[in-house]
Amino acid sequence: MKLLYGALALLLPVCAQTTLIRNATIYTVSHGTFKGSILVRGGKIVEVGEKVLPPPDAQIIDATGQYVIPGIIDCHTHIAVDGNVNETSVSVSSMVNIADVLDPEDPSIYRALAGGVTTANVLHGSANAIGGQTVVVKLRWGKSAREMLFEGATPGIKFALGENPKRRGNPPESDGAPARYPATRMGIEDTIREAFNQAKAYKAEWDDYHAAVERGRPPLPPRKDLKLEALKEVLEGKRYVHVHCYRADEILMILRLADEYGFKVRTLQHALEGYKVAKEIAAHGAGASTFSDWWSYKVEAFDAIPYNAAVMHKKGVLVSLNSDDAELMRHLNTEAAKVMKYGGLTENEALAMVTLNPARQLGIENRVGSIDVGKDADFVIYDQPPLSNFAKVQKVLIDGRTYFDRDQDLITRRAKDLEKQKLLEKEKEGGD
Amino acid sequence: MAIRGAAVWAFGALAAAVSAASADSFLLRNVDVYPVTSPPLKSASILVLNGKIAEIGAKIPAAKDIRVIDGKGLRAYPGLIDSGTELGLSEISDVRATVDTAELGVFMPQLRALVAVNPESEHFGVVRANGITAAVTFPALGEEHRTEHQIISGQAAVIHTDGWTWEEMEVKRAAALHLVFPALPRGQPRGFAEAKKTYSRQIQELAEFFAEARRYGAARAAGGAGFRPDRKLEALLPALEGKLPVAVTAEREPEIRAAIQFADEQKVRMILLEPRELGKTAAELKARHIPVVLGRTLELPLDEDAPYDSSFTLPAEAWRAGLTIAFGTFDNEFVRDLPYNAAAAAAYGLPYEEALKAMTINPARIWGVADQMGSIEKGKWADLMLVTGDPLETPTQVKALYIKGKAVDLNNRQTRLYEKYLNRP
Amino acid sequence: MGLTRWLAVLTIPAALVAQRRSAPQTVVIRNATIVPVRGPVISKGSVALRDGLIDAVGAEVPVPPGAWVIEGEGLTVYPGLIDAASSWGLPSNLGAGNGGRGGRGASNPPPAHGPEDRPASTSWLRAADEIQPSDPRLERARNAGFTSAAVFPMRGIFCGQGALVNLAGDKAGDMVLAPSVGQFVTMQPAGAGFPASLMGVIAYVRQVYLDAQHYTLLKAAYARDPVGMRRPDYDRALEGVLESKRILLPAHRRVEIDRMLRLAAEVQQPAILYGMHEGYRSTDLLKKSGVAVLVSLNWPERPKDTNPEESDSLRALELRDRAPSTPAELAKAGVPFAFYSDGLDQPRDLQRAVRKAIDAGLSREDAVRALTLAPAQMYGLADRLGSIEKGKIANLVVTRGELFDEKTKVEMVFIDGRRFGAPPEPARPAAGGLVTKEER
Repeated sequence: MKLLYGALALLLPVCAQTTLIRNATIYTVSHGTFKGSILVRGGKIVEVGEKVLPPPDAQIIDATGQYVIPGIIDCHTHIAVDGNVNETSVSVSSMVNIADVLDPEDPSIYRALAGGVTTANVLHGSANAIGGQTVVVKLRWGKSAREMLFEGATPGIKFALGENPKRRGNPPESDGAPARYPATRMGIEDTIREAFNQAKAYKAEWDDYHAAVERGRPPLPPRKDLKLEALKEVLEGKRYVHVHCYRADEILMILRLADEYGFKVRTLQHALEGYKVAKEIAAHGAGASTFSDWWSYKVEAFDAIPYNAAVMHKKGVLVSLNSDDAELMRHLNTEAAKVMKYGGLTENEALAMVTLNPARQLGIENRVGSIDVGKDADFVIYDQPPLSNFAKVQKVLIDGRTYFDRDQDLITRRAKDLEKQKLLEKEKEGGD
Repeated sequence: MAIRGAAVWAFGALAAAVSAASADSFLLRNVDVYPVTSPPLKSASILVLNGKIAEIGAKIPAAKDIRVIDGKGLRAYPGLIDSGTELGLSEISDVRATVDTAELGVFMPQLRALVAVNPESEHFGVVRANGITAAVTFPALGEEHRTEHQIISGQAAVIHTDGWTWEEMEVKRAAALHLVFPALPRGQPRGFAEAKKTYSRQIQELAEFFAEARRYGAARAAGGAGFRPDRKLEALLPALEGKLPVAVTAEREPEIRAAIQFADEQKVRMILLEPRELGKTAAELKARHIPVVLGRTLELPLDEDAPYDSSFTLPAEAWRAGLTIAFGTFDNEFVRDLPYNAAAAAAYGLPYEEALKAMTINPARIWGVADQMGSIEKGKWADLMLVTGDPLETPTQVKALYIKGKAVDLNNRQTRLYEKYLNRP
Repeated sequence: MGLTRWLAVLTIPAALVAQRRSAPQTVVIRNATIVPVRGPVISKGSVALRDGLIDAVGAEVPVPPGAWVIEGEGLTVYPGLIDAASSWGLPSNLGAGNGGRGGRGASNPPPAHGPEDRPASTSWLRAADEIQPSDPRLERARNAGFTSAAVFPMRGIFCGQGALVNLAGDKAGDMVLAPSVGQFVTMQPAGAGFPASLMGVIAYVRQVYLDAQHYTLLKAAYARDPVGMRRPDYDRALEGVLESKRILLPAHRRVEIDRMLRLAAEVQQPAILYGMHEGYRSTDLLKKSGVAVLVSLNWPERPKDTNPEESDSLRALELRDRAPSTPAELAKAGVPFAFYSDGLDQPRDLQRAVRKAIDAGLSREDAVRALTLAPAQMYGLADRLGSIEKGKIANLVVTRGELFDEKTKVEMVFIDGRRFGAPPEPARPAAGGLVTKEER
């Protein structure tokens, strides 16, 4: 591991470094595709165009014959988490925070990088109607948990509807576990309403307290309750709500509930039946982050269609494609291509599904999601057109720094192997 | 199940004048033909008579009464064959009532996957839409659908992905016996000593079962007075006689090696299923001409330290070692992604042509149906897909599909839901 | 000679048993190598113990009349070893109930529904109140050269408050040197109910400290003027947390070290981290934080009952290879650390474990320090324990051979000036001194 970090450190340019990615086919996503170069300084894109003159001190990455896209953004992942990704004990677990258990040394991070992902929305699991707090990270492999956090990204919270959160309401006898409310979709709505009613009362307490402080007559402050605090932030628009959902009826339910309590659902996650209520989703203003073509693994996934993303997109929903899977995460580019096949979207629309669209869903489009001057220098360089099934990731940059280099990896793996053999022999000799 | 008859619906503007001739005879013109076993032919024609390929050529004259179809410059490929599925046997993997794989019992060679195939499974419509015309369906494939300790799960069948009944879908009712080779556990911090005992016992029982079947075969041949038929042992005889191959699931080198050794000892024809690594066993497999059915290319590496692309490079590694390979997706949900797994293999070192062969002629040969399918050749079934471009690239559309010369409806549950909700006011 | 005296002589056991007869008032160990830990080694010196304290130490030490002299030729004297985190002397089923807001907590508490139920918390439990002097591990520990330990309840999340105790005494009260040295915290999910995940445990800890703050405010306000104010509930778990002057947090991996340091800073508690197997690659974090750490002597090993064909990951191999070098790296970086037994209690295992750290680069001097003065300092007892200096508690270990060498034998230990262990060669009576009873 240390060897890997070491090898990478050798080829890391210092952040203040000026870098030119030269002579590639650039898919900006925001303003067209053309052959040209990108100039990077201080981790930001300072120039992009057909003819870019590099300053003399610029480090050159020759990308002739290669293809550059903005770093891929996965809107739904559970990698890099220590311990259980679900707080399974209670149906409302908004007090827990995924950010507390980030594991920056999870090898899945490196593998996702090698698949072109630069930013990920790390979520609590789907065991609870109201799950835990969530966080956006950049896959800065080799850095600490704190350094992986996407600076300034609005924090989130995960809700879950449908089969998963009600599973524990009807546990199998063999489990021995006690039943946990709710056991039906009706109960899930009830659970969420109850939690928000408590949150409203909690918010009122705190608003009263702050008002009293303003008036110069501070009473004793109310008790800070982490569970309700997170929901209060939802009510105040300070925390994004990401809802795992499948069926059209539950999608409608959560949109109406949110309207009633005065908050917005930021994204519907999976939303495999989103195509049935695309109109309502668009009217509410929720984004949808879905699979390209997964289906049939659960009853609620049986009406899933690979045209889902295209239909929602056509009806005005902001759609992204996600992975929710450490393997799928490694080829979101080819997943994106599926909306061209199923639904006839254009190449740029397809690419946007894993770049600019998720960036907008996460409220970070001012920094990532397209190749524009002023944005972060997060790129993926491929050896073939990015939506081709034959494309291989060559390099991945985040903040202008190379975090993955296939050529380097091919060298490093041999060294890693040798080191492993050495340690194995040492242990064997060391006396069993 | 497809709606038979003229392909007008699915084909739309492509169909020209319809003749009164039979539904599985036609002359397809103006297509780029990719036979697989011979070089591609640009702007060529394919004559199909009574469901079989009658002729392929640059110019084929249209006989009277023959229905002529304008291929509008599309590409014609053999229909794809998925060598590892549970098609028809499993609908919603989460719901036990819809799953008919993984029967109880340790040695169950007499079970026949074919008779449990549900022709109305929604999966068929879905996979046809991306060009899969045939598949091998297994009695117990994925680990989740396998009863613990089951070793022989039954007879896998080659089926077409369309037909009114499983009889109509049948291509080969017993293509192979499926055997899951015992393996020592990994990734567990304790309990190995116990597991080793179980493993040894399983190996022993397996050998005994085969020995018992041999004795049974001899007794049956001798026809003595006390002979009593036993369907289980009976079912093993074709394998012992070398007539029925044994498709062995073995993931890692130790069990692959043990399986090869076992096949040697028992003198059975082996096919290796879903290995996740080959290593030194590749040479042993090559020496015995054991074909390999690879699982999905797009998988995570086997170990934490394995290179990130180790699953991607496995097919190329197998091919370089001289092995005959076929692709299987090993999960109904992903059967339609068969060509994309093949493409990923091609990206990481497998020559494109080999990737294509691994979904067509190779599986046909491996499963013993190469006289019927796997390439566009005279005498074989007209299992064809007409596509807008490279079938290994995602944006390519399948515009028409033929199974045994009959046009197949490319609509399915998903296209119907699509149409319905796209048009929701 | 009177009959009783003869009987006393006949019944004297000569084995490795604590001598419960009253010891002579002064003991002098003479002509031994003395390793005071603070101060230079005295290659030929003496140490005098009186009334349970160290009376004198040096190259020459006056031998008062009536002193029991132990000839120290070939012997080495060290401060008694201190186990920096242990459960020696405590019953195994201690703690791990749900705190509840009032009572002690049932032995099989119902699953918690949230932080308010104070899951897996017995923070008020004091090890000092639970000592069992008859615990057989105490004798084993003494045979390994240990004379005291910081013992903690270790079950649950907020397990309870530890005490620095001597490893021998007639009754529990005799043994306690410091009754409250810190709150032992683990990151173990509760088992049933909340919290079921690591993030749940962390959220719980965070909530507890928020509640403790609030509780303090409420109690103070209520104390000032209860009239008209709702009475704050009595919360025993919070009381226990508030009583604790520091917390011990678990961290083996670098990622965990980082995480726990940030948690400690967030809840504003002085902390000691225990575990530290990846300490060797975390010295930068530790140095920056200024935190002291406890290094587990239970070095990671390849599990025995696994598939021999399967090789562990490079990470696991590296960890097993490098973990024993952690103490050396910490010493080099100037990070204060002590050793703790972490489940080991056989003398041979303990000796081997320290040996491993020495073989990996730790100086013997630093090894001794990590088992003597360092833990004393961490728990604020350095003024009276952890080195051989006048006025300090007379806890010593006497060895034949240097501590931690394979062939070295622990001859005896002294706790509060009382000797435990095999009697040495018959001592020659000092001029005018009292002759040991064995010679009669």
